[in-house]
Amino acid sequence: MRILVAEDLYLLRDGMVRLIEACGHQVVATAATGPETLDALRTWRPDVSVIDVRMPPTQSDEGLRAALTARAEVPGLPVLILSQHVEQLYARELLADGSGGIGYLLKESVFDADQFVGALERVAAGGTAMDPAVIAKLLSSGSPDRAFKRLTDREFAVLGLMAEGLSNQAIGRRLFLSESAIGKYTTSLFGKLGITDDEDGNRRVRAVLAYLNK
Amino acid sequence: MGQLGLWVVRAAVGFGRACVVVAVSLLVPAVWAAAVALGIWWGAENPWSWLLPVVLVCVGTVALSRPVCRIVRLLVARWTATVIPDGYRQPGQLTRLSTGFWWNGFSYERTRRDALMDQKWRTRRHDPANWRDLRFIAIVPFTAGLVACAPPAGVVAAVLGLGRSESVARLVGVLGAVLAVAAAPYAWRPIEPVAVRFLRPSPAMALADRVTELTAQRADTTVAQAAEIRRIERDLHDGAQARLVALGLSLATARRLMETDPDQAKALMRDAQAGATASLAELRELIRGISPPVLSERGLADAVRALALDIPLDVSVSADDTALRLDPPIESAVYFGLAELLTNAVRHAGASRARVCLTRDDLGIVAEVEDDGRGGAGERAGGGLEGLRRRLAVFDGTLEITSPPGGPTRARMAVPCESL
Repeated sequence: MRILVAEDLYLLRDGMVRLIEACGHQVVATAATGPETLDALRTWRPDVSVIDVRMPPTQSDEGLRAALTARAEVPGLPVLILSQHVEQLYARELLADGSGGIGYLLKESVFDADQFVGALERVAAGGTAMDPAVIAKLLSSGSPDRAFKRLTDREFAVLGLMAEGLSNQAIGRRLFLSESAIGKYTTSLFGKLGITDDEDGNRRVRAVLAYLNK
Repeated sequence: MGQLGLWVVRAAVGFGRACVVVAVSLLVPAVWAAAVALGIWWGAENPWSWLLPVVLVCVGTVALSRPVCRIVRLLVARWTATVIPDGYRQPGQLTRLSTGFWWNGFSYERTRRDALMDQKWRTRRHDPANWRDLRFIAIVPFTAGLVACAPPAGVVAAVLGLGRSESVARLVGVLGAVLAVAAAPYAWRPIEPVAVRFLRPSPAMALADRVTELTAQRADTTVAQAAEIRRIERDLHDGAQARLVALGLSLATARRLMETDPDQAKALMRDAQAGATASLAELRELIRGISPPVLSERGLADAVRALALDIPLDVSVSADDTALRLDPPIESAVYFGLAELLTNAVRHAGASRARVCLTRDDLGIVAEVEDDGRGGAGERAGGGLEGLRRRLAVFDGTLEITSPPGGPTRARMAVPCESL
C-alpha cells in the first residue's frame, strides 16, 4: 500500500514510518502541517493516510480539516485519523458523508503493530476502524431511538464491534461465537435497522452511520 | 365621574406626599431655626450666648444627616421605584482572639459590645458618604422642600384668607386654595430628581466599592488557581509520574532478564506496554479536566456540541457560530459552567432532555441551559452552583437560576466581553 503519514512530532512521525515500512508497506509522503497534508493528499492520492488531528500552524484541528477537505474533493479517500484524544463530534463529522474508508483511533493503537496495520488495511479497503473508546461513549450516550431499542443485547454488542471495524471472524473470536452465528446476528440487525441488501462492506458502514445518527 | 374621582385621589395622595417631603426636608432647617430662636431668647448682651446655638446647629445637622437621607431614599424607592444605592461603608468582621479580646479591624476591645461600638463609630467617621449626605440636606430644603411647600402653604393661605372679611384677604384665600389643589399631584415630585442627582454614591465612592469587590475577587481567583495547580500536581505525581517510574523499572528488569529468562522478559515488556497505555489514558483525562481538546481546537460552540454528545442526556445545542470565538479564559469559564449545569441536570434533576442556547447580546455572551428535570435546585454555601457563580464573578459574569419544585430548571449565565 502507498501510505501518507501526517504528524507534526518528528519522533512519532519517524516511528510510524519505520513501523509501516517494517510491515512491508510503502510511505510515499510525509507531512508536518495542515497545508502540507492537504497538498500531499491532493498530489499523491495515497491508498490510505495516517493523519494527526492537531497540527501547526494553528495547533488546532488542521489535520482533521485537511482530511475532510480532501474527502470532499475525492469521496471515499481512505483516511485514518490518529489522535491523542478521540471525540464523538469528530467521529461523526468524519462518518457524515457515509462513504466509508474512515478510521479514528487513539495514538496508542500503534503500540500493537498488527492491530495498527490491520486497521490501516481495513480503512484502505473502504471499511471503518473506530476506537473502542468512541464506541463505548456512543453506546452509553443519549437515548436510543426505537429501531435501536429492538436490538437484543447480543446484537448491540455485535454492532459495537462492527463499528470498531472488526470482521465477522474477529467479532466471533471476541464474543466466543462461531463466524456463522455472527453472520446471523448481523443479518438480523441489518433487517431491524432497515438496511437493505447491497455489498456487505458498505452495509456495515451504513449500520455504524445509522447508529451515529440515531 | 371616574375621571374626577381618580383625580381627587391623586390630588389627596400628592398632598400627603408633599406634606411628608416638607416635614423631612425641613427637619434640619427647623433645628437651625430653633438654634437661632434660642440665641435671640438668651439675649444679645451675653457675649457667650452664640456658643450653644452653634453647637446645637452642628450636632443637630450631623446627627440628622444620615437618618434624613435614609428616609428620603426609602420614600423615593417606595413612591417611584427608583432605587438609589446608599454606598455607606460597611463595618468589617469581628474576630474573637484566643486571649478573649475582640479585634474589629481597628483596635482590641475587651467586650464584643465595645468592639462593635468602636468599629461603628470609626467606620462612620471616615465614611466619605458623610460629606455627600451633608451636602444633600443643605440642598434639599431649598429645592424639593421649597416646591413641596406649595400645597400646604396654599391650604394655610386659604384657611387664613377665607376666614377674614376683607376682599383682598378673600382673594388671597381663593388663590391659595386654587394653588393647593392644582399643585398637589405634582409638588412632591422634584424630590426624585434631586435625590437621584445628589444622593447616589459619588464616582470616588463607587470606585472604592469596586476596588473592594475586585480585591475580594482577586483573592478568590488566586485561591482557586492555587488549588487547581495543586490538584494537577498531585494527579501527575500520583498517577502518570508513578506509572512512568514503574515502566522504567519493568524495562530495566526486562533488559536484565533478556538473556537468562526471555519468557519473563516478554511478560514484563507486555506489562510495560499496558502501563504506558494506562498512563496515556490518565494524562488524557487530566488534560480534559484542564482544557478540553475540542475547546482549544474549535472554540466554544463545537466544544459544547461535543460535550452534549458525551452527556448521557438528549441535549440540543443552538449556538450562534459566527460570533463565538472569545477570549480563552472566558470560553473556558463558560464551558466548565455549562458542563457543571448539565452534570447537575443528569445527577440531581433526573432530567431526560436538556436545551443549551449560546447567544450574544449587547454586553457579552449569554449561555442558557434548560432541562425537564424535577427542579428545586438551590445554592448551598460551598456547593457547585456557588463555586460557579464565583468563577463567573471573576469576569463580572452573572448566574441566574429559576428552579421551581417540579421543574423545569432554567439557568442563565451572562459574561460581558469587550471583544464582542
